Formats: sequence, C-alpha cells, structure tokens
Amino acid sequence: MHLRERLQHPAAWWLWGLGLATAASRTANPVLLLLVIGVCVVVVTERRDPATPNPLVPFLLIGGFIVAFRVVLTAVLGNGINGPTVVFSLPRVPLPDWASGVRLGGPVSLESLLFALYDSLRLAAILTCLGAANALASPRRLLRYLPATLYDVGTAVVVGLTFAPQLLSDARTVRSARTLRGHEGRGIREISRLAVPVLETAFERSLGLAASMESRGYGRAVRSTVRDRRIASALALVGLLGVLGGLYGLLDSSAGGALGLPLLVVGAALAAASLAVGASRDSRSGHRREQWAWTETLTVLTGILSAAVLVVGSVRGWEGIVPTQRAELPAVPLVAVVAMLIAATPAFFTPRPRQVDA
Amino acid sequence: MTAGTTRRAIPLRWPAAVAVSLVCTVGLLAFVWPFVVSAEFATSHGNDAPWFFAVLLALLALVCLAELTSGRLDAKTIAVLGVAAAAGGGMRLLSAGTAGLEPMFFVVIVAGRVLGPGVGFVSGSLAVTTGALLTGGVGPWLPFQMICAGAVGLGAGLLPVAAGARAERWVVAGYALLTGLGYGLLMNLWFWPFLGANAPTGMGFVPGAPVSENLNHYGVFYLATSLGWDLPRGVLNAVLVLVAGPALLRVFRRAARRAAFDAPVAFEQPPLRTALPDDPRVRAPKPPEVVGR
Repeated sequence: MHLRERLQHPAAWWLWGLGLATAASRTANPVLLLLVIGVCVVVVTERRDPATPNPLVPFLLIGGFIVAFRVVLTAVLGNGINGPTVVFSLPRVPLPDWASGVRLGGPVSLESLLFALYDSLRLAAILTCLGAANALASPRRLLRYLPATLYDVGTAVVVGLTFAPQLLSDARTVRSARTLRGHEGRGIREISRLAVPVLETAFERSLGLAASMESRGYGRAVRSTVRDRRIASALALVGLLGVLGGLYGLLDSSAGGALGLPLLVVGAALAAASLAVGASRDSRSGHRREQWAWTETLTVLTGILSAAVLVVGSVRGWEGIVPTQRAELPAVPLVAVVAMLIAATPAFFTPRPRQVDA
Repeated sequence: MTAGTTRRAIPLRWPAAVAVSLVCTVGLLAFVWPFVVSAEFATSHGNDAPWFFAVLLALLALVCLAELTSGRLDAKTIAVLGVAAAAGGGMRLLSAGTAGLEPMFFVVIVAGRVLGPGVGFVSGSLAVTTGALLTGGVGPWLPFQMICAGAVGLGAGLLPVAAGARAERWVVAGYALLTGLGYGLLMNLWFWPFLGANAPTGMGFVPGAPVSENLNHYGVFYLATSLGWDLPRGVLNAVLVLVAGPALLRVFRRAARRAAFDAPVAFEQPPLRTALPDDPRVRAPKPPEVVGR
C-alpha cells in the first residue's frame, strides 16, 4: 500500500508519545523500559520531521547522563534501599551534626544500585518518549491549534520564534564588528555592550513589523463582545477558585477529602471552558490545514493501548512490572512486550514525511 | 506623563489580577505540596502527583494568559512581547552549553520593570515557551517553568522603587539575585518527591514525616545538588543587571515611548472649517467638476 508523502498531524504524534510516556512511568522493569527507548528510536529514525534538527539525540544524552549520575550518586551517598548483598565498600567520611541523616561513603549494596539504575532508567525512558514526540512533530506546529482566545499570545510566540535566530545573527555581527575594532569579545561587560545595539535593532524591527501589521488591519476585526469577555472572566475566576478549593480538600484530607476531587474537576472544566467562550465565533481561515486520516487515529490508538496495558498491569500487580532488585533477569510480562511492539508499528504504516531537497 | 514612569502595555484589571494571584497560589501549592500533604495521600499518589500538577498547571497557565491578554492585544504589544520572547529564547539557545546558567531572567526582569506586571508575567512565560520550542525541549517541566518565570516578571513590575531612581539599579540587582536562587529552590521541588526512596540517604521525601524533617531533607538535597548551579545563576543575573541594567532599561523605555502604549485613542469629529448657518453638519465635499475631455 502506498501513501502519499506528508507529515502526520502533530497532535497524533504527541498523543502517541504521551501514551508511551505514561506506559513507561508505570513500570520499572528494565527490559520494558529499554524496549520503550528502542521503540522511540526506531519510529524516529523512520518518520522524523526532516526539516528540523533531531532533538532526540540530546534527550538520549541527558537520559544517559541521568542514569550515570544517579548510579554514581547512589554508590557514594546511598539511598533508601539497604540490601544484604554488599558489592564493595567505600571509605566512610564523618559529617557535621546538621547533616547527620546523610551518609557519605560506606558499604554499597547491589540492591540499592539496581534500584537506582531501574528508577533512573524509567526517567530516561520518559524523557526519550518526549524527545521522540519533539522529533516527530515539532511542537511549534501545535501552536496553530491554540484556541482563538489565545491567538494573540500565539502570534507573540511566533514573532519571538522568528526573531530569535535574527537576534543571534545580529549579536554575531555586532561582535565581529567590535573584534575588528580591537575589543576582546569576552566577559560580562562585553555582553552588556552587545545587548544594547542588538536589542535596539530588535525593537526597531519589531515596531516596524507592528506598524505594518496595523496598516494591514491586524486586530481591527474584534469578534469577541464585552459580554463574551465578562462571561470568560467569570468562568475563569470561578474555575480557579474551584481548583484551589479542590486542591485544599485533596491535600488536607481532614477537611473533607471526598469533596476535593469533584470540586477540582469541576473547577478545571470551568477554567477550560473560559478558553472556549467566544472561540467558536472566530472564523479564521487556515493555510494548508493538516489532515487527520486513519493513520493518525491508528497511531494514537497504539499509544493509548501501550499506556492502558501498563496501567492495568500495575494496578493488577502483574509479575515483573515492578521488578525485584536481585541479580537476575526480571520476569517480563508477555502482554506488555506485545503492547510495546504494537506501539512501534507507526514506524511502518504511517505516511513518510517528504524529504527535503539537500 | 513624565518619561520615567512605568508604562503599562497590558493594564492589570481586577479580574486579571485576581486570576494571576489565584494561579500563582495554585502554582505555589504545586511546588510545596510535599510539605503540607497528609501521609496517606503522599503514599498513594506520590508518584502521580508531579504529572497531575504538570497537566493542571499547563491548563491554568493558558487560562491566566488568556485572562491577562483578555483575548486581544494590539500589534505593538505583540511586537514588544515578541522581542522579549525572542531575547529570552535566544539566551536559552546560547546558554544551552553553560549548564543552565540562564541569563534569560535578566531580560524578563527588565521587561517587567519597564512595561508593568502584566507584561512581565506574559513575557516571562512566553520567553520560557519560546526557549523550549527553539531547543525542542517541551516536557512536563514547561508549565512549572512558565508559572515561575511569569511570577519573576510579575514581581519585577511590582518592585517598590521609582522608575529611573538611583536606587533602582541596586534593588533590581538584588531582586535578580534572589529570584535566581528562588527559581532553583522551587523548580527542584517539582521532581523531588518523585525521587522517593531513590534519593540519597537523608535527602529524600519521606511521606508522612513531620514537616521539619522533610524540610531538613530538602535543605540538604538543595545544598548538595542545586546550590552549585543556582548561586552562579543568581550572581550572573545580578551582575548583568548592575552592568547592563541601566542601558537596557533605557532601551526598553525608549521603545515603550515610541510605541506610545498609553496614548489615549479617541475619535472626535473634526472641527468644521466653515460654519454654515443653515446646516451645522458637515457637508459632503462637492465632487470636482469634470472638465470636458
């Protein structure tokens, strides 16, 4: 079957990535977590948005750094797990009284090391899922799905995104000009010398942009009425109060914990509704709307499936979801592995992104 | 109006002010819940709470932005916010190699100082968002950062010092130092309970333990892992404010004056050139007569 080359809907990839991240957050099984990382790498190599640099690599590096850092930190400082199997012993350093709870050096047990390894591996897997979502669909493509009430804020972000690279190239120009005049381009004083011309240029450019936007009638067609705005404000305030009250109830169970969650949910729903008030009246036309076809639906479903299987597994307490810290391969629940492999299938059935001509 | 006064590109009306303070309160709760929570909640939900708060704060940050901008900004405000966001994002790009020594706050503080607390909040959260979008670093930490950076900009706008005063430079520099430290102190908290038993001995979150013990653990954790990064960041921002602050404040004030945010816009009937005794209204000008072609 041949599909036309196109980029998938960004929301589909982000929902898939969030589903996989949820799945990873429910388990500490190293085999499953490595499988998650592998799935992310495979899907990203097959279906990455070729127009942007690959953000998965820095995410993987940070994940690797976290794992190494946590294992070393556990070896030196220990953690809450004390096991009988001592691998090696470090010289113990006595500490002052106020830090009496801290242990520096001492025996290092295999159990504590494995616990640190598994737990940090989980964090690394979650990070990899987010990196994969960033790589598969650049989050700035999600900006156009902001509700119309946030349209102006979205425009400001787009202006910022456009100006940031120009700002950097301006800074480079000013700096090379200063170097030509014989100033050393280093130090904090130099940064401040740089800041003024660079920001002046940026303001010059942006106020020029504002003038041209105004002359083309930006922001003149106001579709929201005063009534709309009052309703939105009222909804937002009531919703926020509800969220605050609900949180109070949740966190302090003596003050009616049963009321907490419903109040919180209602408050959040009201606050979300305030974003939608008047948004439907705004009829902006879109340029090159992204399509949502069966591949998008299937991608989201595979992500949700993996999350659902792992959530059910952790609630039911399947063997191997939370592994024991013994020096053996932990039991691997077969259903979870199958769910992970299904989550990898978007690498093959989704349309390929169009290759950019080099 | 004198040149030195603070210009408010986004007037902070009372619904927006209430909304911002409510969101900041919820944001504060999202950070300090490990210290106030009951034991059974912490043991049963300690692992989900960071994710739950990330989703909640993302929604609240959006609501807060919508409420502040009230659905509509004019082109000049968007342009100025765009510059603040670009400067913040650009700083993020530059500072990617310097282990989180983010000079971004410096720009946010100056923007909030010149353009008022409303713009301070919006530019703070937009600067963080732009930085995350540029570096491809969108994750559950973003809502927490948005609220925090927004609060930094908001506070800069509310500093009780006269604009253009001699003391302004020192007050703002002290504020930059404090926020540099406080930002790290709060931002660690979003994942600290998450470490659970995996934190080094005596530095982890113990569900149900008395507040003093958890505070002590967190203090040791902060000293051991975070202060080394936060202190240089705070000092760097403060030094930047001292050295470049006055010049940058001038740049921002000049731009605000050129954009003329608080110039009142009023539409009046133009004065009539010739008062006609029988018809006080303006008459349509006669079409020029067509001379024979």
